[in-house]
Amino acid sequence: MNEDIVHLVCDVRQNPAENTRAAARLMSLLENHPARITELYAGLADWPEPLMVLGITGPPGAGKSTLVDQLIELYRKRHPLRRLGVIAVDPSSHASKGSVMGDRVRMMRHATDPHVFVRSLAARGHLGGLALGVRGVLRVMGLMQCELILIETVGVGQSEMEVAEFADMVAIVLAPGQGDGIQLLKSGLMETGDVFVVNKADRDGANQLQSQLLTTLNLRASVADAGAPPPVCMTSALGGDGMDGFLDLLEDHCARSADQWLTQRKQRFEQEVEQAVLQEAHRRLADMLRTSGIGSEGITRVLRGETTVNELATVLLQLGARGKPPYNEGHVDERRP
Amino acid sequence: MTTAHPRARILIGKPGLDGHDRGAKYIVHILRDAGYEVVYTGIRRSPEQIVEAAIQEDVAAIGLSLLSGAHNELFRQVIDLLKARGAEDILVFGGGIIPASDIPGLHEMGMAAVFTPGSSAKEIIATVDRLLSVRQEV
Repeated sequence: MNEDIVHLVCDVRQNPAENTRAAARLMSLLENHPARITELYAGLADWPEPLMVLGITGPPGAGKSTLVDQLIELYRKRHPLRRLGVIAVDPSSHASKGSVMGDRVRMMRHATDPHVFVRSLAARGHLGGLALGVRGVLRVMGLMQCELILIETVGVGQSEMEVAEFADMVAIVLAPGQGDGIQLLKSGLMETGDVFVVNKADRDGANQLQSQLLTTLNLRASVADAGAPPPVCMTSALGGDGMDGFLDLLEDHCARSADQWLTQRKQRFEQEVEQAVLQEAHRRLADMLRTSGIGSEGITRVLRGETTVNELATVLLQLGARGKPPYNEGHVDERRP
Repeated sequence: MTTAHPRARILIGKPGLDGHDRGAKYIVHILRDAGYEVVYTGIRRSPEQIVEAAIQEDVAAIGLSLLSGAHNELFRQVIDLLKARGAEDILVFGGGIIPASDIPGLHEMGMAAVFTPGSSAKEIIATVDRLLSVRQEV
């Protein structure tokens, strides 16, 4: 297999069903070298877009993976021709850097379904509930023409909201027995959900959690004058109860918001390219500051009062305009943070 | 402990019908502590499910745990399926209740290593490290 990004992209684009291996290799490449995602930008104008990217987040053990498994099952029944992708992120060890990725255990009945592609990612020390590789894997799943992409975060607490930057919609999965109403009042995660799921609804305390949740969400919506509060679904994902209602709600949301989501994604792409350009410019300038005499001399001259930071920056920018190509020898290996 | 490829991905699978997953989970644990990223796929999986998952996850190796006695047949199926998918570069190692007399045959069919109840954690890690150190990561 030719492992160059352009070739892999070409293979996947031409025949996603036959080229799962190429797609998987491409994902690894982008996971191990996140900065190389910039090589895909030239193709983004006609990159296939999924109908919906749904973030699924919530505390460990709330039933996120089981919910994902049931969503796959139901979505495939409703849309037998549509392809579906799952990105499942699990934590990495800070000590060994190893990881146990176990989300897939709940989803293995779909392993041989050619319309379902599941990719596990280790967080690799990245905070925020996701992994650096998510951006690339998401892009490759789009290329594979996945219509629905589910991003399952690591088990999160209160502050990990990064998934909202990648997903069109975020579902927060809670289960009874994980704290009282005070937890629902706190800032952060509870403010980001577009839809809430009370899973394990067959258990004691589920109704109480639902009513506390509704109270909190209603109050916030009325004070903020923000329209209807986010809906709350009751599910018991293990047995599949409540899943139809949950998927109805998601599809309804998707039908109403599809255009808005496309605009939102386009804005994010633009921001992403802007960030990438800034990073590249920063990298080149930093190189010049460190390696050229102009950099170190310039800094000394600023300290002596012979020139100003502004003037030095102008000189460097003029020199930098000639530039260096990206990904030269000695390019930083992002795998080692 | 450090490894040559601290981020190599390994899939651990239990093909066939036996549900005794203590050994598989033990391997998952020691590989994690040795720095590997381990995808665990649970009990009672078919060779097809294991191979497809390994391809999607782009792992460097598959570790199979089996205590039912069906190792000759099921290990072979996994190796054959990998070949059929053009993924024979994914290493396969295995372990379980495996008679010493079966081991040469398993090596011959392409198993990179076979561990038995006497194998120590250190020995298993050292072997996996050695097997994966020659593999090129992207």
